[in-house]
Amino acid sequence: MDIDTNNKTSDDELDHMFDMDDSNVFRADNPWARAPVESLGASASDLAADSPLLLKLFYQHFFPMKPYFQWLNYDISPTPSRTFMNREFCFTLHDETYIRFQSYKTMDEFRQELARLCPAKIDLGAIYNIRPKDKSMVRPAAFIPVSKELVFDIDMTDYDEIRTCCSGGDVCTKCWEFMTVAMKIIDVALRDDFGFKHLLWVYSGRRGIHCWIGDERARKLNNEQRKAIVSYLEVIKGGTQQGRKVKLPNTLHPSLSRSYDIIGQHFPSIVFDSQDVLTEPDNWEKVLAIIPDDGVQASLRSEWEKSPTRDPSKKWEDLKDAIGSAIAAAPKKRQALEHVPRDIMFQYTYPRLDEKVSTNINHLLKSPFCVHPKTGRVCVPIPIETCEEFDPKSPPTIPMLAKELDEYDAKHPPSENEPKLQAWQKTSLRGHVEVFERFVKGILRDVAEKKKMESSKSLDF
Amino acid sequence: MFTQERTQTRKTRQMLASGARFTYDDEPYPTRLNFYRDPPALEISIEEFEQFALDRMQVLTALQTAQMRNLPPDQMDKAVGDAIRNQELRQWFLRAECALFRYRFEKESLKEQLEFLEKQNLTWKKVSDDDKRLLKDKLKASSPFKAQNVDDETFFEVDFERVCGLVGKRQVYIHAGKAFVPLADQVVLVLDEFRERLAQALEVTGRALPRMDEDNRLMPVLNNINKQYLGREFTTSAVAGEIQAQDVDALKIHMPLCMEHLHDELRREKHTKHGGRMQYGLFLKGIGLSLEQALIFWQTAFANKSPDEFNKQYAYNVRHSYGMEGKRTDYTPYSCKSIIMGSAPGVGDHHGCPFRHFSAPNLRAKLAAHQVDEFDTEDILGLVGAKHYQIACTRYYEVTRARMIGGSPDTLRGGSGSALASGQGAGSEFRVASQEQIEHPNQFFEQSYKLMQQHKSTAAGGAGANGDQDMEAAPLDPTVKGRYTYRKVGGPSSIVNHDMEM
Ligand code: SF4
Ligand SMILES: [Zn+2]
Repeated sequence: MDIDTNNKTSDDELDHMFDMDDSNVFRADNPWARAPVESLGASASDLAADSPLLLKLFYQHFFPMKPYFQWLNYDISPTPSRTFMNREFCFTLHDETYIRFQSYKTMDEFRQELARLCPAKIDLGAIYNIRPKDKSMVRPAAFIPVSKELVFDIDMTDYDEIRTCCSGGDVCTKCWEFMTVAMKIIDVALRDDFGFKHLLWVYSGRRGIHCWIGDERARKLNNEQRKAIVSYLEVIKGGTQQGRKVKLPNTLHPSLSRSYDIIGQHFPSIVFDSQDVLTEPDNWEKVLAIIPDDGVQASLRSEWEKSPTRDPSKKWEDLKDAIGSAIAAAPKKRQALEHVPRDIMFQYTYPRLDEKVSTNINHLLKSPFCVHPKTGRVCVPIPIETCEEFDPKSPPTIPMLAKELDEYDAKHPPSENEPKLQAWQKTSLRGHVEVFERFVKGILRDVAEKKKMESSKSLDF
Repeated sequence: MFTQERTQTRKTRQMLASGARFTYDDEPYPTRLNFYRDPPALEISIEEFEQFALDRMQVLTALQTAQMRNLPPDQMDKAVGDAIRNQELRQWFLRAECALFRYRFEKESLKEQLEFLEKQNLTWKKVSDDDKRLLKDKLKASSPFKAQNVDDETFFEVDFERVCGLVGKRQVYIHAGKAFVPLADQVVLVLDEFRERLAQALEVTGRALPRMDEDNRLMPVLNNINKQYLGREFTTSAVAGEIQAQDVDALKIHMPLCMEHLHDELRREKHTKHGGRMQYGLFLKGIGLSLEQALIFWQTAFANKSPDEFNKQYAYNVRHSYGMEGKRTDYTPYSCKSIIMGSAPGVGDHHGCPFRHFSAPNLRAKLAAHQVDEFDTEDILGLVGAKHYQIACTRYYEVTRARMIGGSPDTLRGGSGSALASGQGAGSEFRVASQEQIEHPNQFFEQSYKLMQQHKSTAAGGAGANGDQDMEAAPLDPTVKGRYTYRKVGGPSSIVNHDMEM
């Protein structure tokens, strides 16, 4: 690492940051390199996904420690910054106990702790004014969270009342479309409206997605400002007991007009095809309940009961027509009815955010590149450009990675002049880590830029 | 006050004041609009201070609750600001002061507003006419009521962080991190500036009076103000005595709809999300469920969790809410206001107030399940429609309790000549039950519970002399303002922080 004082940080140099010589990382005993997976026992695939042994191998060889550290360090210098040292880590262990307020002075210390504890889950918390480990040494009031990425958590369980293809922890490509819409809508709003640039979408490993916004401005937001952003984005309101959950004003805010366009692209496939919203009486009753007019409800109900197999897209036209004629017959109903179809579209496709996670600076969120204990899949980043193609069943599991590594090594016997690759580079994890590296690099570029500006400013004096 | 430190303090203040980029005004408070550029320099006695503080708080509280009516004289501006040392109180004070400032600002004529702004050197970047033309449709769609005529309206471009209120309500156009605020909303900008300066001024004065925390003459005063104006608190009063986990089901009949709903859903789903656990858990604590019993109650309720899972995931939270973990705040049950105004239930949540958070059909169904007849149902829904949720709840109380003891709702309104009112204690108790609006779910429970006890003892034929005496120890003490305050048992008053972090 020689980027430092000269202030000219070209892309090339940033590129180099990711292929720093890692020999010190892997000099330690590397059972993986010597022992083929089979020698671990029967085979790696027989081990439970969250077996500590498997996780140990994962943390030692597949976890992208370098870019991970660079991310949390928020600095182009490899020296640990306060941002890294004062960050709260929380580990969930295999017996499900969790240890909060952990913090580390160096990357190595963190790495060793990972290898020692093999946590089933790593959560990231806020950056505090002092090291979280020293928390008990000060008055509670003197332990203050000062910054954290703005984060979002979208979980499929919040869609259970409108989702019919799966329930609970299951997901399939049909219901995953909810997540795709969510990513598209939230991503563009955060970039265009709020001006954030460094967004990392991450698969939560099972049935949801997370978003980390690493811009300095986002990290500095206070709770009130976070709340404002969330409520700006939020459209679905009300608990289980409330039928109509969306009531938007006649004129849509420009941000919502844009969302409405995106919704339009997905509503037919979600509502007509994958979720049977208008094919099953139980489901269409929920839609009818949203319409604040008994007459319209009754006429649609009788029509659809007569021909329940009528094409869902036709039924949707019926609904719009029925509302249109109700307004024509009694113009004073316009205010109450006109935008009901639009609001139904929002209710059935607009993202549902877990508000608490975003609005509280010290809330924990599962770190990227954890391994989900139930599915065994790695929580990999999802590139926004190709988010429509993401399949929640595609991210690798540890046994899969082990197998890929074996196959790679069998095909490429070690040779002197080949560059030494890290384990993840030989597997399908590579593509995922590269998405992550792009995110980190973008942040570091901003940091370098800022340093440069500051130093040129100080030269002016 | 602080006579022994008088000169010292004044010096420190001026030093700090100038050091903190406040300029000193020759004419400290020239208009009624006061931006707190400088801490007030006058000295007051403890007694004066208490009087000022209380008066000021009264103004602010009245302002908050009475939705900005006529303002009382505002001689007190100068005295209070510099005394707020306590963190939470300071936050509250800040919010309230901002509301007051806003009110005053909006009352001033446009001319005075502009004069004031000029004087304060408040300048924001204006959006150019070209940009305005380019963004016309978007600006119009963003504030449809305020800025219809985009061409004539002036827009300012500021960081979105400065106008959180507008952002949160989606009432301003934002692009690339900048908010485009119409002149019509400038009060928001002024307010933001005001808040920032006041916060800094408080900070500075806070530091200028470093020993106030320890000043034993002042702390009781502050605590007192704190108690009187930060709302009523409710702590275990346990009319029903110490409750066992297995008693809870039987006590359901005395619960208000919000708690009954949480209870039913807990039994049905064998689980409750965080918001529900807090709302219901603290309520149960309030009716006399000990920590030990609470742990039993929740563990049995979460029947699908193994004892091990329960201990790891939930026991901490239960202990926490009893003040046995973490910050050791002894959490108090939520009042109706905080339930109604608090975070609305999201998908899968069951907390909240049914009168506020249920759709009309669902509320109707709930009422029907409690045999509320059509007439009363319409009455209640009418109140809900007018946003009088607590009055609706009070009405629900009257209707259902009357049936419970076999009378008419009027009996509960203190009607004379009723058979029920014949017992001495009963008569007065019924009046308490009726005139008071439901302010707190625990109040609902207690009233209902005691009503039932009384009814039983009067029905048993005057044999309840002992019981009556017990019951006369009303849990509700009227305060000077004629409101009810709930006695706090033990511990210093604490401002509840509902955020449990996990
Ligand atoms: S008014 Fe209060 S007691 Fe009644 S249901 Fe609502 S929150 Fe509960
Ligand atoms: Zn599915």
